[in-house]
Amino acid sequence: MAELEAGKLLPSSPRDIPVRVQLAAVAWLRWRIFINSTFRRRTTGTRQAVGLAFAILLRIIVWPFLALMVIGPIGGSGFFAWMAVADNHPQRLAPLLAAITLLWLFVSVNGQNVAAVVSNFDPSSLTRFPLRFGRYLVLRTLIGLLTPSTIVGCLALLAAAVGIGVAKPAMALPALVVLTVYALMNVFLMRMIGAWMERWLANRRFREIFSALMALSVVGFQFLNFQRAPARALGARSSWVLSLLHSSGVNLHWLPPGFAANAIVQPAHPFAAVANFAGLLASTALFAGVFAIRLHKQFLGEYLSEGVSRRDRKRSGQRDGWRSQLTLSVAKVAPPQAGRPAFPPIVTVCLHKEWLILRGNGVQLIGMLTPLVIVALMSRSAFGGHSTYFLPGAIAYVLFGVLAGLYNVFGADGLGVQVYLLAPIRLRDVIVAKNLMSLAVIIAEAGLAWVLVSVLARTPIPLATQVSTGLWTVFVIGVNLALGTVRSIQAPRRFVPGQVQRRRATPTNRTSGLLILLVLFGSMALQFPVTLLCSYFDNLWLGAWIFGPLAFAAVAAYALLLRNADQFILAHRDVFAEELCKA
Amino acid sequence: MTTPAIDTAALTRRFGDFTAVQDVNLRVEAGQFFGFLGPNGAGKSTTIKMLTGLLAPTSGSIRILGEDLRANSAAVKRQIGVVPEGMALFGRLTAEEYLRFVGRMYGLDHATTMQRTQELLEFMQLADERKKLITDFSHGMQKKLAMAAAVIHGPRVLFLDEPFEGVDAVAAGTLKAMLQRMIARGATVFLTSHVLEIVERLCTHIAIIHRGQLVAQGSLEELRAGQANADGASPSPSGGKQRNLEEIFLEIVGTDREGNPAATAPEQELSWLS
Repeated sequence: MAELEAGKLLPSSPRDIPVRVQLAAVAWLRWRIFINSTFRRRTTGTRQAVGLAFAILLRIIVWPFLALMVIGPIGGSGFFAWMAVADNHPQRLAPLLAAITLLWLFVSVNGQNVAAVVSNFDPSSLTRFPLRFGRYLVLRTLIGLLTPSTIVGCLALLAAAVGIGVAKPAMALPALVVLTVYALMNVFLMRMIGAWMERWLANRRFREIFSALMALSVVGFQFLNFQRAPARALGARSSWVLSLLHSSGVNLHWLPPGFAANAIVQPAHPFAAVANFAGLLASTALFAGVFAIRLHKQFLGEYLSEGVSRRDRKRSGQRDGWRSQLTLSVAKVAPPQAGRPAFPPIVTVCLHKEWLILRGNGVQLIGMLTPLVIVALMSRSAFGGHSTYFLPGAIAYVLFGVLAGLYNVFGADGLGVQVYLLAPIRLRDVIVAKNLMSLAVIIAEAGLAWVLVSVLARTPIPLATQVSTGLWTVFVIGVNLALGTVRSIQAPRRFVPGQVQRRRATPTNRTSGLLILLVLFGSMALQFPVTLLCSYFDNLWLGAWIFGPLAFAAVAAYALLLRNADQFILAHRDVFAEELCKA
Repeated sequence: MTTPAIDTAALTRRFGDFTAVQDVNLRVEAGQFFGFLGPNGAGKSTTIKMLTGLLAPTSGSIRILGEDLRANSAAVKRQIGVVPEGMALFGRLTAEEYLRFVGRMYGLDHATTMQRTQELLEFMQLADERKKLITDFSHGMQKKLAMAAAVIHGPRVLFLDEPFEGVDAVAAGTLKAMLQRMIARGATVFLTSHVLEIVERLCTHIAIIHRGQLVAQGSLEELRAGQANADGASPSPSGGKQRNLEEIFLEIVGTDREGNPAATAPEQELSWLS
């Protein structure tokens, strides 16, 4: 300690930290985080064993699907590249490479949950160490190379190179070189997009605009799909997506996929091949440069959160005068109530708080509107002509998103959940308030979908179908409310509404996540065998007879749960402290 | 004249059109135990983030040990140690793994890193928690670990943002003794704390920031004598009796924008409290 305190071992020059030492340190850090996240568990004994068993089961079920999702495109890339060159249609390489870039982007956006083991590492925290910018840039480029998106993208490009090489062995080497640069270009492109998106998404207004744009793109895609699909026969060749990709070959000439494809397929014109390769290198340099500009700002020290808004400053200015108004404000808090309130006071207060949070969350509101627009678009498809399926299908579709929120009603409260535990209130009232707000959203969503279907369906909806669907809706809401409440108390997970989830799931959460999916899908899917049964027996009222008792049982189960909610939540206070209250 | 450990000129930071720190001119001599005080939201953490290179100033300059921070950030960062506001620990590592990583990032060789890691774990009484992940540490343990990481490379200037918050009395005593010994051997400590007694007991020099502007700077004696003003505010000595830091602090920052006392007589407010 004496040496430390003296500062005597301080190296004389900052320039003599070898780059390999810092690179090795970061690589080791990532490795330890991976190992600790994979093999260390907070829980012990039976709970750990059960958690691990479920985690393994989950992987056995989910990973093959994930593998199929990526093996297909990788194999497809090799096959299409081979076909394009062997069939003498090398111009088809450009759309293929563009598709691989889109796949790279898709996995990059969606692969975060698969690679959640490293999600709690923020590479920008490296700026506090003695690094020069060049070294920081190298580190930031290298960190995250072993992510699913890079692996899948590189394997797809490798498969394409193999496909080209098999079709024309003389093209194997140029293809490998060009596609290696193309892979590097993709790495920088993804980094650039990620870094700038992180900057922009730090702004709440931009997040809302971005969500609206994403919703619009989803709706737009579905619109095109429903517009085009019914008019054409099924099959790969008739898919409008593929024909769009096919026709895009010409437009891709001046973009990196075009540069890469032309650099590979024009060996007879060396000048054109070299020019295209130079274009690809220039694109790579451009993306790397734009990425570096963003990183440099971060390196110099940047505040990513939003600036203080005018409204907040106004409030801050008003705060100076709070003392003179305090007594008055206190007197205003509890005005004498005229008439009987609709809900008990605690429920009313909590409802108001939930409403304020919902109102301020533009992203969530946009997310609620999108399924309704999709339902309207669905009416244009063949679905719209079969109202006995369209009504339950549309209700199931819109409910799926909103019901998932029932399984973590305390997550957004975070540290604030302590207020509920400390205040002299019945915790049942808090749950009731939260569920009432959720119910209001669910009923509004389902109600609007119902109205849309009634108006847009091309055949009238039989009364029996309406009654059956209504009872099924009550059943689904009741089951998910009851199980959602249990899970919200047993395995809450902290999150910030409207922001990308970055906290790592606990074993309990991962395990119960599988159960949630089963219950959600199961309760939703129950509608369809029952509808088929009704058709088989030619009795649409059969559905009402089946779902009536089920709806009653679900509501009764929820009511029973509410009666014991106080004891239940108090018995799980430790979980709250562990998951929600930890700073 | 010796090179100051910390020297800022017209240091300013704006967030949009809100100015968090304005024209701060700080001078901390090498070997000083410097306390940086201010009420909540005054700009302390913003200033410390700028001084450690975690936040870029909007304007103004920062020199640490004579080196320009912007031009030579890697060289400066190698000379300083920081316990930042959020501690910046990696939750999925153990304490030993974290210290090893930090040591290597500062360029210490493997043997030195391992030796200092063991010494620091023992010193901070974290050696018994080798298997535990940092995420499972208590707040106080995390604070001690952040302190250990801040000193593992033997920095010449140490920046500590609320270092004793959440640390038990025994550990706080140990940390204070360590800091005093660092000062005795020539290091500089720049510390923010809301606990004025700690600052008064440890620090030889103090600066007070209020609404983003430096309102006082000098030695504790100068503050007591009312001679440490930074912008013309006049903390006046109160007739012979030596004032403590809390009284001085309240006198300087305890006014609202119009200069009226911010703390109102208890009987005027919250009369409903029992």
